Amino acid sequence: MASHLTHSEIQELLGVYAIDAVDPDEALLIDEHLRTCPRCRAEVTDHREAAALLSFSGTSAPADLWGRIAADLEASPPPLDLSRARALRRTRLPRLSLVAAAAAVSVIGLLGAQVVQQGNRIDELSAVFDQTGLDQAAAAAAVDPEARTVTLESDDGSRVVRAIVLPNGQGYLVQANLPRLGAEQTYQLWGVMGAQTVSLGVLGEARSIVPFVASGPLTALAITAERSGGVIASTNAPLVQGFLSA
Amino acid sequence: MRDDLTQSSDATLVVAIGRWRDDALAEAYRRHGGAVYGLARRVVRDEGIAEEVVQEVFLRLWTSPDRFDPERGSLRTWLLAQAHGRSIDRLRSDGARRQREERDAKRTATAGYDLEREAMDLSVADRVNEVMSSLPTAERQALELAYFEGYTYREVAVILDTPEGTIKSRIRAGLKRLRVDLIDSETGQPWHHT
Repeated sequence: MASHLTHSEIQELLGVYAIDAVDPDEALLIDEHLRTCPRCRAEVTDHREAAALLSFSGTSAPADLWGRIAADLEASPPPLDLSRARALRRTRLPRLSLVAAAAAVSVIGLLGAQVVQQGNRIDELSAVFDQTGLDQAAAAAAVDPEARTVTLESDDGSRVVRAIVLPNGQGYLVQANLPRLGAEQTYQLWGVMGAQTVSLGVLGEARSIVPFVASGPLTALAITAERSGGVIASTNAPLVQGFLSA
Repeated sequence: MRDDLTQSSDATLVVAIGRWRDDALAEAYRRHGGAVYGLARRVVRDEGIAEEVVQEVFLRLWTSPDRFDPERGSLRTWLLAQAHGRSIDRLRSDGARRQREERDAKRTATAGYDLEREAMDLSVADRVNEVMSSLPTAERQALELAYFEGYTYREVAVILDTPEGTIKSRIRAGLKRLRVDLIDSETGQPWHHT
């Protein structure tokens, strides 16, 4: 089998490629070509649209098939590996109290999420703001008694980002001084709300305070590195993640 | 409270699926599940395997919605292409084709390209049938053998005792003709939610 195909040879194969009628090694060569040839990609799209019309039959799927698919959704691996945070959520970790603190800290430490006690939190965050030139809104959030804080950590603890979340969903990442990425990549923030993992936005140029808004009750936050512009759903492992206690 | 997705575009559904909204996946299934199942069953000719293909396709949409690129065709086209690829994989593995051929040998009236007409919107199926009928016989045969029977163009060339290059050209020309007659004409894409 040829290890290389000319553009003309590939064009001749686009019709059969679009309907899966090429040999696997030819398919690989065409896949590679399509990555860099928008004209051939467009032709394959056209062919697939035409083929899709052939599929039209007015057939109904079996009535119980959706039920089986829905039942599998829970078992599907999430695009973002927040399993540890989810596990923590399921265990209904008690709110920190003086009595429970010692036991809880060891559990939280294992899970990479660290709840910061209110008294220490304000002092620490105030110090951060002093160093960064003080974002007024974030500073106000930091002293809001209703605010929750979370520390997002990497598995090895070498990367730490902290966040403040107000009851209305307004939040701020502070000390978001992650390493600079290449031009092709960006950091993206994710929030876990119930069973959903939602993008809370991409992080722009390195700033020490980054605002975000969550539209529902957050239980965890995570940051991934994604291609420039961000993605709808991530398959990358979180660089840092943390759990909101309540 | 969740917003109603029944009037949303397919692209909006995919964004919602990316946000783990199972009601968005349910709506995508409601719109396209029948077509995906119909194609899979047409290719594999086994209801159980066809149902597995449908499950795979929609679970893939659930776990990797970013693989669907709205700039490269409609959601329905993407779902059907996924279903076709998986159906062909099933067909080419483990002697599945031989089993299918044995089943086919017992049938008496399944030849040809008649589209199944089990439910609504027969006008579209009729129009597709009509356009398929208008294709030159050689193009239609090559398309059917490759698309519905799952043969590679090399296998089609052997079956039809025709040079491989001719088969490639016929299938490409047939698809272009279908597109002109079905999509670029007034028929358009009746299922396309924009």
